[in-house]
Amino acid sequence: MKRTKAITGMAATAVVVAAMSPGTAMAASTPLVGPTHGVTLNFMIASSGPAETSADKAAAAAWGKKTGNKVNVINSSNLTEQLTEAFAGGSPPDIFYGETPMFESMVKQGQLLESGNLVYPAKDFYPSLVQEFSYNHQFYCVPKDSSTLAIEINVADWKAAGLTNANLPTTWAKLAYDAKALTRNGVTGLVLSNTLDRLGAFFKEAGGNYMNAAGTKFTFDSPQNLEALKYIQGLAKKGYLKFSPQVDAGWGGEAFGTGKAAMTVEGNWIIGAMQTDYPKIQYEVVPMPVGPGGHHGTLVFTNCWGIAASSKYTAASVSFAKYLASPAQQLRFANAFGVMPSRPAVAKQWAAEHVKQVVASGNEYPNVSAFVQGDAYAMPQVATIGFATVQSNFDNQIDGLANGTSNPAQMLSQLQTYAEALLHP
Amino acid sequence: MASVPSDDPGGAPLAAGQYAAVPASLEERAEAVAGRAGTRRLARRSRVRRPRATGTLRKGEGFFGWLFVSPALVILVLFVVLPIFLALYVSFTNWSGLTPPLASSVKLVGLTNYKTLLTEPGLYQANFAESFRNVFYYVIFTVPLQTALALSLAVLVNNKFLKGRGFFRSAYYLPSVTSSIAITVIFIYLFQGAGVVNSIFHFFGWRQTPDWIYDQRGLFTLILSAFGVNSPSWGGHLVMGLSAWQWLAGPSLGMCVMIVMVSWTTAGTFMLFFLAALQQISEDIDEATEIDGATPWQRFRRVTVPLLRPTLVLVITLGFISTWQVFDQSFLLGPSNPTDITPGYLAYQVSFQDSAFGMGAAVAFLLFALIVVLTLLQRKFVKEDLTK
Repeated sequence: MKRTKAITGMAATAVVVAAMSPGTAMAASTPLVGPTHGVTLNFMIASSGPAETSADKAAAAAWGKKTGNKVNVINSSNLTEQLTEAFAGGSPPDIFYGETPMFESMVKQGQLLESGNLVYPAKDFYPSLVQEFSYNHQFYCVPKDSSTLAIEINVADWKAAGLTNANLPTTWAKLAYDAKALTRNGVTGLVLSNTLDRLGAFFKEAGGNYMNAAGTKFTFDSPQNLEALKYIQGLAKKGYLKFSPQVDAGWGGEAFGTGKAAMTVEGNWIIGAMQTDYPKIQYEVVPMPVGPGGHHGTLVFTNCWGIAASSKYTAASVSFAKYLASPAQQLRFANAFGVMPSRPAVAKQWAAEHVKQVVASGNEYPNVSAFVQGDAYAMPQVATIGFATVQSNFDNQIDGLANGTSNPAQMLSQLQTYAEALLHP
Repeated sequence: MASVPSDDPGGAPLAAGQYAAVPASLEERAEAVAGRAGTRRLARRSRVRRPRATGTLRKGEGFFGWLFVSPALVILVLFVVLPIFLALYVSFTNWSGLTPPLASSVKLVGLTNYKTLLTEPGLYQANFAESFRNVFYYVIFTVPLQTALALSLAVLVNNKFLKGRGFFRSAYYLPSVTSSIAITVIFIYLFQGAGVVNSIFHFFGWRQTPDWIYDQRGLFTLILSAFGVNSPSWGGHLVMGLSAWQWLAGPSLGMCVMIVMVSWTTAGTFMLFFLAALQQISEDIDEATEIDGATPWQRFRRVTVPLLRPTLVLVITLGFISTWQVFDQSFLLGPSNPTDITPGYLAYQVSFQDSAFGMGAAVAFLLFALIVVLTLLQRKFVKEDLTK
């Protein structure tokens, strides 16, 4: 108990200090503790597969060798649960994958070291990612990588339907046209995972948003968002668009890989899935369409390199985070398992290299630069505590759009009401 | 009873003393000896042992008694009793799960969590009400179904003329010892839109098959709408965030899959209970009723089932308790179909997904209260039956 109190006390002081000093001035005042060599760090990851695990292990070993430390890599299959248990038990890992749904809780409990500017300045990263890991304008942890949504198109289906480059889904009208043309022979034109994490992209394209620019109010029930949801429902009612459960798929990528969908909307994680599970399918990746008002829009997903405020080795952890988020290491991660760098400069370099590799391997596809483009105008996820439950309530009604049992205006007003309740409990 | 006195080391001399007042007949005498000795033995026990308990020897024994049970006791207190009290405490706090539960940042919030779940209109209340509606239909369908299935299977495999009884007993028991997660995953594949079950229906000409796993429509709603009843005017009345029509919807088709699955899985375990009880029933009774001209159904209904009553009560009680707190199946099916979310899973989801462990613990304790109340009620009614 004594130790616990000391730690919470320390964390409380850190929060007070953070509240008093704005912006980068904060960086100097966060006291880092512990030696920078000869320590063993616990590093908790939530790997997407063997490629990511071995890349993390290699990075840990390389940094350890360089600085004379050791890193114990813990791969968790359920990060939220394992990390919560570790914090509750008072012995969190020193450095870990910080997830958006837990971010605000961790900050409010004083468990997350405000390490953002200590590792690298915010200007090095995409602004949307920095925004995702900032609270009260304090930059808490550096974005690990980025993933954005784009449209994947099955090349064989596209050609069979007689579509050409002039038909590429650059606008909502063209996307509707393509979805209709591609719905044939038991294949659905467009299949989406049934979640706000896909439909939200269309909100942005319609000129809508999840929150206002200041991030202080939810704006779900805007006419723009309604227009987007009605556009989706229009396609779903005609059968040109289906949600993944309707075609017995767990997510859009599965429907796409098994040939049930000619197009889907997924993030760059689909590259790895296609390589391992459906290597024979030739597909192209194009940016999300612009909406009726000419707005670009996509969603961005990311983790950060979180450092526990109660770690005894915050100095060593910051040094490790610096290594992990360095341009060279980001490029290594991107090449190892397909995540995009969170630094604009490195992301562009990666896209160019990736295209070269694909061409060298004798393939024409896919061109991943569509994912990189999205980072410029992507909308980040909502990090408000409790939003996960609010979102599931919305997601559960998405299937009903197709047969009309769900009403778009009602869905949005309910989403707005429940989300607002989180801000004013 | 006659052998009772000799069981007790001090019994023989006293019993011998009884012969002073010997009754007339030998039988009477034997009865009297047994009966009085029995009473006396009890009386002596209470008389003699009480003073001894304060003796030094007893004290030592008491100490060793506690010493010997202490490992079990320590484990019980440490891993069962304390966590329960800690959880009860947590249900009155705003604990986020990101600090130790007793840290100074954790604030006591009184009944706030319970109020949010029970009285404040909002998402938490609606989700809570929905989870209780779901589990209610799950319980009232699963318990009778699994009990009836278990009893039928037990009677079948108890038949001495059945060839390969051992095989059938193992076969029916197998689902019970298989991982519930594995079985649920298999059922998801069986019941998906283009799965085996729908293929069979298609073969027999039913084309408009539902997407069982994802289907949120209630069974009663579907039956009523077949008769032209669709959401009557009173159906919109909200009770705890759910409309009356939603409350009365019955188990959803997704939930029906879960009910069928669990009934099939647990029937094997309860079959063993019934089988053990059936083997206690003497064959004489069956033969006697057969001679008296009872039909097989009459014998089953009037003789076997009444004799199985204690087992039946046990199976139903265990069935109720385990179904109220169902988790595994809900854990896999709940994320894709909200009508499969039960309070057991909701408590987990609220705790980890929303970092609201206080609320999660409150859900768990409301479920606990419900189980206790319903089990007491059930025991009361079943007991009355037994005394008839």
